[in-house]
Amino acid sequence: MAPHVTRSGVALRDAYGDPAGLCETPGEFPFTRGRRRAAGHGGTWIQRELSGEGTGAHSNAQVRYLISKGQTGIDVIGDAASAAGLDPDHPLASASVGAQGVSLCRKQDVMDLLEGLPLDRISFSASLPPQAFVAGYTLAAEQYGFAAETLRGSMIHAPLYTEDCSYATHLPTGYRVRAALDTIEYCARHLPRFHGYIEDTYFFSESGLDAVEEMALGFVQIRYLTRCLIARGLPVDAFAPRIAILVNCGMDFFEEIAKIRATRRIFARMMRDDFGARDPRSLSVVITSHTSGLSLTAQQPANNIVRGTSQAIALVLAGVQALEISAFDEAYRTPSRESHLVGLRTQQILDLESGIGRVSDPLGGSYFVEALTDEIEAKILTRVAEIEALGDPVDLADQGYFREIFTSAMERQQREVAKGEIHVVGVNCHQIPAEEDTLLRDLAEQKIAVFDDHVAEIRAWKAGRDRSAVLAALDRYRTGVVSGANLIPLVRDCLNSDVTFGEMKGAAREALGLPWDHYGLVDGPVF
Amino acid sequence: MSQEHVLIATLGLDQHENGAIAVARILREAQMKVGYLGRFNTPATIVEAVRIQAPDVVGVSCHSWEYLELAPDLVRRLREAGLDTPVVIGGSVITAGDAARMREAGVAGVVHGAVSDDAIVEVIRGAARAHRDGESGVIGP
Repeated sequence: MAPHVTRSGVALRDAYGDPAGLCETPGEFPFTRGRRRAAGHGGTWIQRELSGEGTGAHSNAQVRYLISKGQTGIDVIGDAASAAGLDPDHPLASASVGAQGVSLCRKQDVMDLLEGLPLDRISFSASLPPQAFVAGYTLAAEQYGFAAETLRGSMIHAPLYTEDCSYATHLPTGYRVRAALDTIEYCARHLPRFHGYIEDTYFFSESGLDAVEEMALGFVQIRYLTRCLIARGLPVDAFAPRIAILVNCGMDFFEEIAKIRATRRIFARMMRDDFGARDPRSLSVVITSHTSGLSLTAQQPANNIVRGTSQAIALVLAGVQALEISAFDEAYRTPSRESHLVGLRTQQILDLESGIGRVSDPLGGSYFVEALTDEIEAKILTRVAEIEALGDPVDLADQGYFREIFTSAMERQQREVAKGEIHVVGVNCHQIPAEEDTLLRDLAEQKIAVFDDHVAEIRAWKAGRDRSAVLAALDRYRTGVVSGANLIPLVRDCLNSDVTFGEMKGAAREALGLPWDHYGLVDGPVF
Repeated sequence: MSQEHVLIATLGLDQHENGAIAVARILREAQMKVGYLGRFNTPATIVEAVRIQAPDVVGVSCHSWEYLELAPDLVRRLREAGLDTPVVIGGSVITAGDAARMREAGVAGVVHGAVSDDAIVEVIRGAARAHRDGESGVIGP
């Protein structure tokens, strides 16, 4: 962290405020100005890059590389098949295994991914199938000697939205909600330092939502899941401290800062006034962040480094707890090692050289930022009320209400760019001919090959399993799906019995009256 | 030439669809008839849709590397099914080298790099015209 003194020797306080004491202080309700009084409360924000490719072992090496370069947190994303709940030997997975993220389908894969990582000292965040990964993560941690109460990290849940603009699992909305609640409840009971529920507003806002729409949908889901957890009998203070929000950050610099300040304030008042939370930790939500991939361009990719830097500055000024910069080559390939390092170095330069994170909420008190925060807050609350007035969010999801919001946003955003209503340098202004657009372009031709060897290994491993043990565990899992038991102990049981992620999904679909495979290409466990 | 009929889709497990929706809009605004098959199509399901809907062109939006395997497979399956419908692919992940390989594999048009809306319309329209004229071969930038 940069020294708490300017280059000229001016000593800095943790935070600044109105000398008359009339304005809010960082670290105090309603936390508009930050969760803690001291920026980063003695450390700094968690600096990480979204990674994941190949096998668990391959991704483990990738994570170790990033840690060796100074990364202070881990965020791993699954490949398309893993995220969709399909095993790598599924016919539809053959073109992409390990090419867009890590391929995980069994306990050993998770063990390989986590091997040798200090899980009690570095947070492990995951954009992976929640139930299967949390179960696998706890099993691997046990095997590596980490007590559950020491584990740090987070798990994304988006049961209302993921099917409509991201990896589709082809599971019913109601079941996805139940599975998310089971996971959050399990984490609340067993993993006290783990954020069992990350509300990820990032991925769906990449459809082109504006800041108000992004957070309104985020709060609709947070409020819905919170009501459901309370209805299960969980006291709000048992899980609210472990909710975090992963926000996007687009190019509208001050609006994004205002959005994050308004989000903290809305969350605090909502948890206290609507849900009766009393624990101060339930009120001061952790904000993690990712700069916008949608804002990046395939044209003149070096410009994306500037976009990532601008967005990262906004996020640090807004006081986020963790930050990831979208890789500059993301518009045309799965991020390369080179682009990961540039993202990490950008954060390190902002932290260690610019010192912009030294003081909490340095923009607090700005007439503009405070007014914008108030306006964004009001708009978010109005939009949340409008959506909630339409009825049950699960019904809305099933009726395609959210899908319509996302696809409309995609169309609107593209139209605005095409018509020049939004400036995008290099795309609709300040273009250069393709033959001059060569800087960093060579990375586009360096592809990550599909991990065919891993598919062969999984096939061989499946054939060698104890068939009766696999089938018996799947029967217990089906029974649990129908009975309403918490799924996580059953998933752990399955993983210990060599059942795969894809097989659990297939069994759940059958228990819910659906065919094993949405695509009709597999009809049961393969041995 | 009467209104062109285009089917737009994404292939495989590629979850990105901003590009597909954008292209569908561009083609509709160019007065084409556009059917959007959505995401998570297999080559087989697209062939079936082509058989039923008989479009002039199939447009595949790509934002993962799956197209390298699946687009040639789609062309092959169409031809095996006796359908000569041209396939046009587009996306920022497609490089110049890949574009050449896709054309060799029978993809009729490849839209990649910085292209205008008009250029996209022109590639699709050219593929449709060639199809109606009974021509085959490679078109587009």
